[in-house]
Amino acid sequence: MARKMLRDGQQEEYDFDLFVIGAGSGGVRASRTSAGFGAKVAICELPFHPISSEVVGGVGGTCVIRGCVPKKILVYGSAFRGEFEDARNFGWELDEDIKFNWKKLLHNKTQEIQRLNGIYKRLLTNSSVTMIEGEGKVAGPHEVEVTQLDGSIQKYTAKNILIATGSRAQRVKMPGEELAITSDEALSLEDLPKHAVILGGGYIAVEFASIWRGMGVTVDLFYRKELPLRGFDDEMRAVVTKNLEGRGIKLHPQSTLTELSKTDEGIKVVTDHGDELIADVVLFATGRAPNTKRLNLEAAGVETDRTGAIKVDEYSRTNVPSIWAVGDVTNRMNLTPVALMEGTCFSKTVFGGEPTKPDYKDIPCAVFCIPPLSVVGLSEQQALEQATSDVLIFTSSFTPMKNTISGRQEKTVMKLIVDSATDRVIGASMCGPDAPEIMQGIAVAMKCGATKKQFDSTVGIHPSAAEEFVTMRTSTRRLTVESKI
Amino acid sequence: MATSLGVPWFPFSTKTLQTLRQTLPLSLSKSLHSKPLLHPSISRSPFTLRLSHRHLSSRTSASAGNNSASASGGGENYDFDLFTIGAGSGGVRASRLAANFGASVAICELPFATISSDTAGGVGGTCVLRGCVPKKLMVYASKFNHEFEESHGFGWSYETDPKHDWGTLIANKNAELQRLTGIYKNILNNAGVTLIEGRGKVVDPHTVSVDGKLYSARHILIAVGGRPNMPNIPGIEHAIDSDAALDLPARPDKIAIVGGGYIAVEFAGIFNGLMGEVHVFIRQKKVLRGFDEEIRDFVGEQMSLRGIKFHTEESPQAISKSEDGSLSLKTNKGKVSGFSHIMFATGRRPNTKNLGLEDVGVQLAKNGAIMVDEYSRTTVESIWAVGDATDRINLTPVALMEGGAFAKTVFANEPTKPDHRAVPSAVFSQPPIGQVGLTEEQAIEEYGDVDVYTSNFRPLKATVSGLPDRVYMKMLVCANSGKVLGVHMCGDDSPEIIQGIAIAVKAGLTKAQFDSTIGIHPTAAEELVTMRTPTRKVRRNSSSDEQKVKDAAKSST
Repeated sequence: MARKMLRDGQQEEYDFDLFVIGAGSGGVRASRTSAGFGAKVAICELPFHPISSEVVGGVGGTCVIRGCVPKKILVYGSAFRGEFEDARNFGWELDEDIKFNWKKLLHNKTQEIQRLNGIYKRLLTNSSVTMIEGEGKVAGPHEVEVTQLDGSIQKYTAKNILIATGSRAQRVKMPGEELAITSDEALSLEDLPKHAVILGGGYIAVEFASIWRGMGVTVDLFYRKELPLRGFDDEMRAVVTKNLEGRGIKLHPQSTLTELSKTDEGIKVVTDHGDELIADVVLFATGRAPNTKRLNLEAAGVETDRTGAIKVDEYSRTNVPSIWAVGDVTNRMNLTPVALMEGTCFSKTVFGGEPTKPDYKDIPCAVFCIPPLSVVGLSEQQALEQATSDVLIFTSSFTPMKNTISGRQEKTVMKLIVDSATDRVIGASMCGPDAPEIMQGIAVAMKCGATKKQFDSTVGIHPSAAEEFVTMRTSTRRLTVESKI
Repeated sequence: MATSLGVPWFPFSTKTLQTLRQTLPLSLSKSLHSKPLLHPSISRSPFTLRLSHRHLSSRTSASAGNNSASASGGGENYDFDLFTIGAGSGGVRASRLAANFGASVAICELPFATISSDTAGGVGGTCVLRGCVPKKLMVYASKFNHEFEESHGFGWSYETDPKHDWGTLIANKNAELQRLTGIYKNILNNAGVTLIEGRGKVVDPHTVSVDGKLYSARHILIAVGGRPNMPNIPGIEHAIDSDAALDLPARPDKIAIVGGGYIAVEFAGIFNGLMGEVHVFIRQKKVLRGFDEEIRDFVGEQMSLRGIKFHTEESPQAISKSEDGSLSLKTNKGKVSGFSHIMFATGRRPNTKNLGLEDVGVQLAKNGAIMVDEYSRTTVESIWAVGDATDRINLTPVALMEGGAFAKTVFANEPTKPDHRAVPSAVFSQPPIGQVGLTEEQAIEEYGDVDVYTSNFRPLKATVSGLPDRVYMKMLVCANSGKVLGVHMCGDDSPEIIQGIAIAVKAGLTKAQFDSTIGIHPTAAEELVTMRTPTRKVRRNSSSDEQKVKDAAKSST
């Protein structure tokens, strides 16, 4: 039902109540829930392709096609190497050299991604959302222009426009930068590299380092800081670093790349320390930028910040009242479940008659390096910064039971941060097998302000790693408010 | 000053000591709930009797008569403030904490053996030596088989199929158990608890006899645990129990497991993964009585898909051994032959026989469980009991909780009742189960109006491995208060996932609070915070027919 709308004092009919540009996590969620509230919704998205560009994308977006899902599949694939190693002391006799066929994994991964792409399309169709293939641009506060595959341009009007175009991996400026790849290509490489050089210290960099190492690739990881994963708890960063090294990844802290060039043996990589390496793949995992350049935002006067992110208020509304934005394009917290939350809150606010602000407190997240890291709430550094009373730190570092037999020299480390005045648990982190699965329940408890006492009154599940979170009886250290700098 | 008294009762041979020295740990294992060990090696006799600062005694054997007379007047006349019989999870925890609170504590335990009996046990108890720990190690070992299968879909291939060497596993497992029993001894030693090897028996309300030697104590704690129980049918001498099943000299090629409880399903998974042929005989239609009905269905299905053969509604009647040494199991439905092993996992019983309990007035339940009040006190004021011997909830962490509460109550002047509500638990079947709170049946019984949220999905890993693995989740919500009453899950990582959820359930959180939590993507666990629509709404007033119609409508979509 297209609605008659009153604008500028006269009756005007829009094609849609909502037009969404970008069918990734946030856009699809917002479309479906808005349609569920009775709105007439259209969504546009570029044609499917595993590697994104200005002209290709695909329903499902980064998460499904070029992010969380394919990444996790590759992590599963590469984690088997560790399992094979671990199996031996449990009595298993295996080939000395177990063969890994990258092409087979790639094929199975692509099949699964295509299946999911189809499911997402069906989800939209079943919710009566009109799907339009092509590149969407803003033509005015209530107008969207879609360039279709054949080059023809179609215009649509809508009472509300939602921009959910996500983000894309960025390259670093340096001589020979075109020889490097980004995470998009890394997820779909034709051949598995023998020697990979990764530039970056964020989660994408450490995840690919783990993935490739598990597949038998020689990996050199370069990052600017002393430790990778800036923003995470320092102690946990150190644990991840030790594990990466323990699994055979060559770390180059406080270094960067300065030049790439093509040689007969492969890509010659020059570092800022003057070292030279030859690699067959160089991955830039140096950050992502919002996809706003080609959206023609000026046409409607939508403001962006220096990074190109769309500026929005607490309800995800831009400075133009009829235009909204959710997900990575707003560069708030770039996680799929956050985009989902923003999308849902948008629908409730605009079509559900229930103004709802997304809540960014205590959002858990995971880094799927091997073994993985997962956190929720504050890091020790953040806790100290924000402290108004003493902060108690509980830590536990132990050999997981499996490793007592396998002999793997890797510890699991857990940490709880407690506000001594309220006894509330304000931060939790874990690095070790199953950390992301374990942390989800911890996040539920923390979201609702659980106290350390409530953690302690929970009986453990034995034998599990997770039980350690409810049996940390003695604090490791106390940070006094006075120790704040 | 502590007084050292070693010689008259010192129970360890030099050889044992040497072994212990070799196996004492440098690092603390996960499975210990304790402070890190500060003394990785022992240079002197580690089991020197250490008496507390407050209660000196010049003799280890004391006359019971002298001391029991002064039960109410201070502890000066007792050898110990606390004498614990049984150094398993509950006994060790209680002893260690009591010692930390300043009590002088002794604990007695039978000599180490992987298989328990009236004369063998070992510090660490069932959990460490014959339960949780070795079981989980065997589960790890057997689960690799499934992972090898999964790996094909992810591009891995083998020229020769993986083979399993049973001997390596058992040797490595036993070395780990030796290490752990050493750690436990060390923990006791570091806490200043006197460890006495031998069989403890209660002589009077304040006296324990260990192999004839008498010790007096102000309080006695019975923490003797439980033992597998087998029915008395013809040929039962050919069957093994879970103790033996954890320490078999060779892999069972074809095994019958009798029983449908958690031990039966766990061992079924273990032997199946280690490439034996497994037949499970259960009296009922489904495994795991007492668990949520849909979880019971689901885990049975998943186990069948992995190759385990279930014989339902069959009760064992006799075992016979043929000339070639193979075993046959006769049931009410017929006879199945050709087994290399027949295992009975038909329950466990409290180890309370011949402890002298009845003679001093400690009341036992019909099944032998020691009857205790909410503070774990028996019918005799100075005698207490924790753990499986009391048959409340027979889980290690519950015994730890009971032991901790006992020590606080008696020695820290802080009366504490163990809280047996919302105790989470796991079954390490393959796939495993994690659960906390009420089952659907219990929730409906107790609350009437219940919203049931379920999710049955193919995990991401299975979409690429191509295996038929699935995950099942269920959340039960009180329709009136919105409180989450129970959460059940079967699938990879369930035990790890449910632990954090248990904190939330124990804290009494509502479904709305679960929903306000952001998911961790991509995980299986995120499903538990994204269950938006109830599968069915059970209402006390609606007729059951109406409910069935609703269920049918749901399941067909």
